[in-house]
Amino acid sequence: MSAINNKNCKYISQKEIKITFDGKSYSALDGDTVASALLRNNIRLIGRSFKYHRPRGIYTCGIEEPNALVQILNEHNEPNTRATIKRTYDGINISSQNRWPSLAFDIGSINNILSPIFSAGFYYKTFMGPKGFWKKIYEPLIRRTAGLGKPPKNFRSKSIHQNHNVDILIVGGGLSGLIAARKLIDTNNEVLIIEQDCFLGGILKNSNKVKSIDGKNVFEWVNETEKLILGSKNIKILKNTLVTTYNFTNHLIALEDKFAGKKIDTNKSELTLHKIRTTHTILANGHIERFISFRNNDLPGVMLASSFEKYIERYGVAPDEKPVIFSNNSSTISLVKSLINLGCKPSAYIDSRNKNDIEDETKDYLLKNNIPFYPESEVEGCEGNKKVEKVYIRGSNKEISSINTSMLCPSGGFNPDIHLFTQSKGLVKWDDKIISFKPDTAFQNTITLGSVSGNYEFKNLCNEINKKLSFLKVNDLNLDIETNIRDDFSISELWETKTNKMSKWSKSFIDLHNDVTTKDLKQAINEGYDRIEHLKRYTTNSMGTDQGKISSINSLGIVSKILNKKIEEVGTTTYRPPYAPLSFGAIAGRSTYEYYDPERKTPIHNWHIKNNAVFEDVGQWKRPWYFKKDESESMHQAVQRESKQTRQTAGIIDGSTLGKIEIKGKDALEFMNLMYTNAFTKMKPMTSRYALMLGEDGMIMDDGIVCKINDKHFIATTTSSGAPKVLSHMEEFLQTEWPHLQVFLNSITEQFTTFNISGPKAREIISKVFTDIDFNNEKFPFMTFKTFDYKNTQARIMRASFTGELGYEIYISPKHALELWEQLFNYGKEFNLVPYGTETMHLLRAEKGYVVIGQETDGTVTPLDLNFNWMIGKKKKDFIGKRSLTRSDTAREDRKQLVGVVPIDKSLFIEEGQHIVECENLPNKIKTPIEYLGHISSSYHSPNLNHCISMAMIKNGNKLKGKKLFVSTSKGTKNIPVEVVSPVFIDPENKRLVS
Amino acid sequence: MTKILSSDSVNVIQKNFLQVLLRGDGRDQFNQIIAKETSINPPSKNLEISSDDKYIFAKNSFDQWSLLYLVEQDYKKILKIVENLNMNDEILASDYSYGQVYFEISGNNKNEFLNKLTNFDLRPKKFPVSTMAQTLIARIDCSIYNLKDKYIVTCNKSYEEYFKNRLVDINNLS
Amino acid sequence: MILINCPYCGEREQSEFSNGGEAHVARPKNPEALSDKDWGQYVFYRSNPKGIFYERWVHTHGCRKWFNAVRDTSTDTFLKIYRLDDNRPDISEFKSTLKSPSGEPSVGSGNFAVKK
Repeated sequence: MSAINNKNCKYISQKEIKITFDGKSYSALDGDTVASALLRNNIRLIGRSFKYHRPRGIYTCGIEEPNALVQILNEHNEPNTRATIKRTYDGINISSQNRWPSLAFDIGSINNILSPIFSAGFYYKTFMGPKGFWKKIYEPLIRRTAGLGKPPKNFRSKSIHQNHNVDILIVGGGLSGLIAARKLIDTNNEVLIIEQDCFLGGILKNSNKVKSIDGKNVFEWVNETEKLILGSKNIKILKNTLVTTYNFTNHLIALEDKFAGKKIDTNKSELTLHKIRTTHTILANGHIERFISFRNNDLPGVMLASSFEKYIERYGVAPDEKPVIFSNNSSTISLVKSLINLGCKPSAYIDSRNKNDIEDETKDYLLKNNIPFYPESEVEGCEGNKKVEKVYIRGSNKEISSINTSMLCPSGGFNPDIHLFTQSKGLVKWDDKIISFKPDTAFQNTITLGSVSGNYEFKNLCNEINKKLSFLKVNDLNLDIETNIRDDFSISELWETKTNKMSKWSKSFIDLHNDVTTKDLKQAINEGYDRIEHLKRYTTNSMGTDQGKISSINSLGIVSKILNKKIEEVGTTTYRPPYAPLSFGAIAGRSTYEYYDPERKTPIHNWHIKNNAVFEDVGQWKRPWYFKKDESESMHQAVQRESKQTRQTAGIIDGSTLGKIEIKGKDALEFMNLMYTNAFTKMKPMTSRYALMLGEDGMIMDDGIVCKINDKHFIATTTSSGAPKVLSHMEEFLQTEWPHLQVFLNSITEQFTTFNISGPKAREIISKVFTDIDFNNEKFPFMTFKTFDYKNTQARIMRASFTGELGYEIYISPKHALELWEQLFNYGKEFNLVPYGTETMHLLRAEKGYVVIGQETDGTVTPLDLNFNWMIGKKKKDFIGKRSLTRSDTAREDRKQLVGVVPIDKSLFIEEGQHIVECENLPNKIKTPIEYLGHISSSYHSPNLNHCISMAMIKNGNKLKGKKLFVSTSKGTKNIPVEVVSPVFIDPENKRLVS
Repeated sequence: MTKILSSDSVNVIQKNFLQVLLRGDGRDQFNQIIAKETSINPPSKNLEISSDDKYIFAKNSFDQWSLLYLVEQDYKKILKIVENLNMNDEILASDYSYGQVYFEISGNNKNEFLNKLTNFDLRPKKFPVSTMAQTLIARIDCSIYNLKDKYIVTCNKSYEEYFKNRLVDINNLS
Repeated sequence: MILINCPYCGEREQSEFSNGGEAHVARPKNPEALSDKDWGQYVFYRSNPKGIFYERWVHTHGCRKWFNAVRDTSTDTFLKIYRLDDNRPDISEFKSTLKSPSGEPSVGSGNFAVKK
């Protein structure tokens, strides 16, 4: 039977557009969804089900759709799109999913024949063995057949986020939402209304149930309301936006489709993720119709009654001229009226309720219009080849008769859409009047209005809304709402009908998305899964992308009957966000690719780029890793060159990323003594010291250099990535433990650019630039600093280096950074001054046995482990971490200690992270654990010594100098023979440093 | 002054200001010393701004103040102020001038625009004129000063390029 | 994302704050006098109750001030926020806290959302 166009529909234009489905071209109307367009063209077969590959059609007209998932082949290649929501546009290219080679002839339908194997718990019981089969056979097979659509390729989402802060959020622009909004116009509240569709009105546009409001037809009333709202000063409307999540604290997330009904402009963001913080949330998001389980209730041609009605009223197309209608409640008669208005007539109206419970109005209407009426009856099942052809009815006399038809519209009742309410941690309660769960106790500032609160009758609506919103102290609104059907709602419980003809391929489904049958539910309960959360996972019932919106309450009904419990005792599974599938692109927003993490650059970053630096990420900073002399130079070559040159003449590194903290106050000295291990009391002013900061557990947290200006004024440097952590750590102790200390802290990391120049020629170069300063060894000793004026800015030079060469650290205002850097190169040219990066820095310090926080230390290393005994102020009564150093485990003598390691065969290379062991070869299969003595923490090829040098943490390292051990390697099971040596490989007497 | 982006609903300009960051206890002596040295009275209420066309003096936090000079000044003068203030034990003054970047954001839709990069509540009833806030914008620690018809947003200079790119990017996509 | 009412800046989003663990655990005045066990207790052990919990927060991306809070960890509700130098509120102040919606059913799993 064919579809009928409803030209009176005000929500669809009559303008024709062209769409493509599975390669064929069709006409549609502007405003159609994919589903309404296909129905308009009498296409009933739309996909194949997940497990059994059974033919499936369009079941509903909304977000709750379990079957009609399609792939959009245009720009973003979106899979698993609900055909019932996705709006078409001229040129849209749609393909069905989960079928091969075609929808009509799908090889996967063999699963249907094998279906007895796919019963409940299939995923858990099968694929257990034999050994090896999982990796070689099962997994590849499952990967190929699993899933529904295909993921998009080469599409980068441009979704953005939009934050909102409002007083009242109204979820749903239907009748209840609009009444609430009208009450709030031009009041003191900032209001946001969110509506899923591109039109407001909800049930007013989706159905034929309401005739008029205050004498106006519903279209007029909605338009008038919308105009009033848009003219108000305090209310905004967001359309094409679906609220998916309701979190603490009254924080909601909604997804807006920016290109609904249009071709996506790939230069703009296609989705906006709205994040709304509100004081009050009004949930007016309505209800969802549920189905009924009967034999073959999944055939294409079975469509929920309200959905059929919505296609007529909202989308202007009646999918079939004479469907069979099957209901257990008083509301479905409006569908009959819709059809009659269109000049159509249902083939039959089957009402499962007791004859005496059925409204006289309904009986009279059916009689008047000559519609075959079956009270106290139910559908036993339906049959057909890839579509409904025959419906079997069990009459009031329990006899089975049949009708030929191509469409069957069941209605099993309505569920208040409680997903968002329960996400907000509200509690629901079972209501026998509507035979469903409805919201009971809100946990947050949540109000429910209309059908979502279980109120299915229009005559009570304004009273309900006035009462629930009375706390807002706004005017009452009373409307005269006239309905097309009788307003009192009545329903009789019906979850499934008894099946007569059970064949292997006849199934009664309880979950259409995941292909779970009522038989599966019963089988699972027999196996002992009688708790609803277990049952859900064991059968995968309601675990699909539709979350069982049209069926999960039904499953509770069936389960309660088997277990002989009340439904509220059976309970519901936890509804988790999102309410509907949420694109990962939308969740990520712009925090992807180059914007993934904020990037920090030093003031001379552009110079580094011009000079062929290759960068590495250190925390959020971009630091030069190494500089390429020319295109052909490899990293290894560059690092060897930089390292060699620095020790020969001079090298310079941009150290601006290092943290700098200014510490000042009356009690600064006492504070510094508490925060670091060092003794600062006797430290002379204008000198510097290498300092260690420990955690309370005695483990090294950070290191740096502390410059003492005087007892009340210090400047401390930290590692690049440790800067924020150290500052927080200091603030924490100052505020929470020692508020009596008068100390102030400021981060000055950005306020000074830092250059470190070191090498035998460093003094000569730097003297040429700072002609006013005497860099003579006696006048400017090692570990001292000077402050001076540089071009009317504050500047500081400290004599220290991390390379073990004669070196100076220059602190200069960013204002003059580039010019100073270039000047240093001007004067340094004759000495072949070389810029070097972090890799060379690591290499040079390793040659000197200097540790790097995070490399030699990992949070389990104490100062004693690194032979830093000399850095601990012995006379200090207390400092953070002091007590822990004498804990029995921390004071153990055989802890892992810092040593150097060199390969005995100097041509071999030791890899970082490898284990130090006593055995020459590792067995092919390790059956018993091999004792692990330590690990290699740093390893480099030293160009200055011409062999590999490593630093390692080895158990009892201090006693192992000279010992021969082995280091594992990734290249095989033969370990590398090594010797344990001192970690200081170059200039152990520090002659260069203090020259 | 550089134009970063401009549309009929939002404008962003980058400017350079001189800035001093102050730490202290906010008591009478502190206020006196500051007033004497800078000729401006520091605000006492948390997040409060006192400003005119030449400067913004804001209390950023319980013990932190920012003094921004909106009009060009002799940098030497500012450095002298910092040096003099630091002679007092109860005060820590740091020159922040060349380590921060400053953006002026104006336009009818500046709130909606900024709310694409931050969830901070910019509504007048939560963020009144002549107040400031420290918060996250585009995941970067920023200070935002509310000067009636425009906001001044500042952050560390190292984030400059990233921050500008984010502003332009979000404007292009909307 | 929870809203937290910073005593200095007002209501801000949770993302601006960092949690600082249990409150009112004072650093021992004389660490040397403690045994390894007692010192270890201070360094490594903190309570972790389900229910009313006294904890610290710091407004990392705002004023950077530390403050205390009493939070019901089972409902993630802030019962009270107070400054470091305020008196610690007595637990009797919080007798009538909101009942946890995940009120444990006596046997088995599920059925958390339905009012009992």
